[in-house]
Amino acid sequence: MTTMTASRTLTSRDSILHAFESFRDELDDFNDRRERLIKSSRDITNLSKKLIFLLHRTVTEDAAEADDRVLGLRAAARARGKLEEIQSLFAAMRPELTGDRFWHHQRNISPGLQEYIEALSFAHYLEHRTLISYDQVQATLSDPDGTPFFTLPLEDYLLGLSDLTGELMRFAIAAIPRRGGRQKASDVCTFVRACKADFEALTPHSKELRKKQHVTAQSLEKIEDATYAVVVRTSEYDLPPELLDDLVAQTLSRAADLSSFGEDTRRKRRIDSMYDEDEA
Amino acid sequence: MDSDNLEKINTILEADVEIREKIKEHVAEFDKKARTLSGILNRIHSTRAEQLPALLGTAQPVLTSCKETTAALADIIPPHQFWKWKDMWSNCLRSAVFSVALVEYLQSGALISLPQVAETLGIKPEWQDRFMLSVEDYLHGVINLVNELSRLAVNAVTLGDFDQPIKISLFVKDVFAGFAMLNLKNDLLRRRYDSLKYDIKKVEEVVYDVSLRKLAPSSK
Repeated sequence: MTTMTASRTLTSRDSILHAFESFRDELDDFNDRRERLIKSSRDITNLSKKLIFLLHRTVTEDAAEADDRVLGLRAAARARGKLEEIQSLFAAMRPELTGDRFWHHQRNISPGLQEYIEALSFAHYLEHRTLISYDQVQATLSDPDGTPFFTLPLEDYLLGLSDLTGELMRFAIAAIPRRGGRQKASDVCTFVRACKADFEALTPHSKELRKKQHVTAQSLEKIEDATYAVVVRTSEYDLPPELLDDLVAQTLSRAADLSSFGEDTRRKRRIDSMYDEDEA
Repeated sequence: MDSDNLEKINTILEADVEIREKIKEHVAEFDKKARTLSGILNRIHSTRAEQLPALLGTAQPVLTSCKETTAALADIIPPHQFWKWKDMWSNCLRSAVFSVALVEYLQSGALISLPQVAETLGIKPEWQDRFMLSVEDYLHGVINLVNELSRLAVNAVTLGDFDQPIKISLFVKDVFAGFAMLNLKNDLLRRRYDSLKYDIKKVEEVVYDVSLRKLAPSSK
């Protein structure tokens, strides 16, 4: 199509059809790219969710390991490979998001991006006990030389962090039955409270963030209720928290010996099988 | 959150807020102009063919003044951020496209092309990643044109112009054929396109009435 044709009025049916043909090509191009990016975003969401579950498992599965630091580092180490896999998916998107295309498709990749940030920030918290910064997140979505795949939208960063508070609530409550869990829950409580306060200042700029704050408030309340229950009960006994944890652990251990549930089952089965050999 | 991070966030936010405020100002201006155009052009339904050029003449200065607004907006938008902000002026722009297309139809009987609309509204090609006339905005404007012409067909007959509805019928059917070529998603554009068939039906009924009663010059 020459520029001459493009500038003249469309005076015939043919010229109208011709013009709409090029509109079709443009719209098809956009819609096809949109579909590809949505698929990619779904893949990223899937991997990110799996990573979050992996992180939870890593910090709760090992009853013998009491050192938080060790568990946190282990979680971060396991996360590394998975995070790189997700980052390479973002890198693969880059050619489709050049120039003004990024903002044309931002909504299509937003869900995956937020889920990724939720997983990333969770791994970061387990390792460093801090909130990952905007610049740090942007760095993970950049080339080794620092060139970003795309500019991280501030809203996606904030919404991803907001979702993190939900995972931290689960982390805190799952930690309570373990040794030193009460202290951990209390620390998480303080942290989430601070996050909620920081986000509150930013809510005027984001309707989505305002909505998520309600969920954050509920998560915070759950942690607060759990922490309260723990304090009230421990105050009834005049013992340090770690000794109380040991008492509870002993009770559980004795119960595990008598049933087929509980982590000591392997040891007990081995002992049982020794008797079986003798009988045979 | 540490203070460095908060500072970074607030810097980004403040920049965004500033842009948003500036855009709002100009969009308010744009909105006024679009409505003025709409108001002027509404009179076509009660204006005889001879007085039409004069009426369209009064619309011209308003159209020209739109160029200032589009230039001002293009100036505010940072590079590559067209799609981030475009929803703020989309409605005004579609209304302006409609007005431009209507004027063109009344003057030449033809459909104005997208590049021509852009030129009329002062939208320069070099602004492309900051401010442009998107295909969607153009198409919405054209659909509005068809809606308006189906109404004009009826009112033209009332004013004694029995030729206009025949011309409109041929025109809107060609436009509809163009739209039929698009692969649309289930969005607003798709729903608005679906409404075109009612306009065509309405115009056909006028044509039917006019032809049967041998009112149209071509049917005599």
